[in-house]
Amino acid sequence: MNVQLVSRSAKDTQAIAAEVARLAAAGDLVVLGGDLGAGKTTFTQGFGAALGVDEPITSPTFVLMRTYEGALPIVHMDVYRLEHLQEAVDLGLAEILDDGAVALVEWGDLVAAVLPADFLEIMIEQVDGESDDERRLRIRPVGTRWHARMRVLADALAPWTSDEGQV
Amino acid sequence: MLILGIETATQQVGAAIGGHEGVLGSFHAAKGRRHAETLAPAIDFVRRHARVDLDELGAIAVDIGPGLFTGLRVGVATAKAMAQALRLPMIGVSSLDLLAFPVRHTNRLIVPVIDARRGEVFYALYRHVPGGVQRVSDYRVGTADDLASDLEAAGEDCLLVGDGAVRYRDAFESNGRAEHGGTAHAYPSAEALVQLAHPRALREDFVQPWELAPLYLRKADAEINWEQRVGTGAGGGRG
Repeated sequence: MNVQLVSRSAKDTQAIAAEVARLAAAGDLVVLGGDLGAGKTTFTQGFGAALGVDEPITSPTFVLMRTYEGALPIVHMDVYRLEHLQEAVDLGLAEILDDGAVALVEWGDLVAAVLPADFLEIMIEQVDGESDDERRLRIRPVGTRWHARMRVLADALAPWTSDEGQV
Repeated sequence: MLILGIETATQQVGAAIGGHEGVLGSFHAAKGRRHAETLAPAIDFVRRHARVDLDELGAIAVDIGPGLFTGLRVGVATAKAMAQALRLPMIGVSSLDLLAFPVRHTNRLIVPVIDARRGEVFYALYRHVPGGVQRVSDYRVGTADDLASDLEAAGEDCLLVGDGAVRYRDAFESNGRAEHGGTAHAYPSAEALVQLAHPRALREDFVQPWELAPLYLRKADAEINWEQRVGTGAGGGRG
């Protein structure tokens, strides 16, 4: 079960992220895809705020990984600067999840081959011809962990569900 | 020659200093997993209490894994930085060698097992030889069941050590010839590292800091394909 949403502002994207965060558990992985400026870090900011992170969440592009303390430990990664899949392996994501964190990986769709095979994929697309702030979000569970929560998640996200609805 | 040993391949942080007199001092902490915050103070603590100045060191030894990335990054980077700054040669030793060495006085097959997380373990098979242990298999990564099958196939008495052997003890319970060493031998020790490094230092079996690399068993031999992006905007890779 996939969900398609429309976000009309960064605030909308953060509110959507907050709904995902409320269903997140220790060991969960969220993969964020989409062009530069699509709103991957914006999404993570909304996600972290919903889990009680009170420090600013900034892009991890340069440092590759930042860690925040919320209701769960949150690890925010960005593989944009990496060239080789081995470098993505070397980030040690599996052990971070095993230790009870929830992880969000920007551009993670491009290194999915070396990620744990169980995650929630969120693709954020800029929409042509509309306002600069409008985005389409496609949410897809991969593996069993998130499949079990999709019905509840879809209900929580109903306010933003696009005309195409649930696919 | 005095050797500083740095061990961070598991959730434990360890540091030790030793030489021909044996181990002069050591520190280990197995809880907390804050390798980056614990390691440098631990090295300084051992150095001060063993009354060793940094300029008395002759080599830096480091556990190169296999193990957890989070820890290995910290240990290997710290060891390299110290070796470069102090102009010292390095000795890299496998975490599995370090686990096998302290239990070498047995005729059984020695099987160090490190918890690789997500249901997998790093392991290898060793035998006692005069003065130490010898590895008799390649380094392996697999599930606990893969290891259990390897042990069944070996068909002899074996002693399992390491945190992987503790965590997955259920996988070996049905094998009457496999015994695990318990929590006393859960982690590689920095003391074993210094002890194993010393004879290699005497043989001048060194590597230079820029040559030393961690032992990664999980390989991903491909470039990231930035052209395959699924975005809708102006495609074609990174800006």
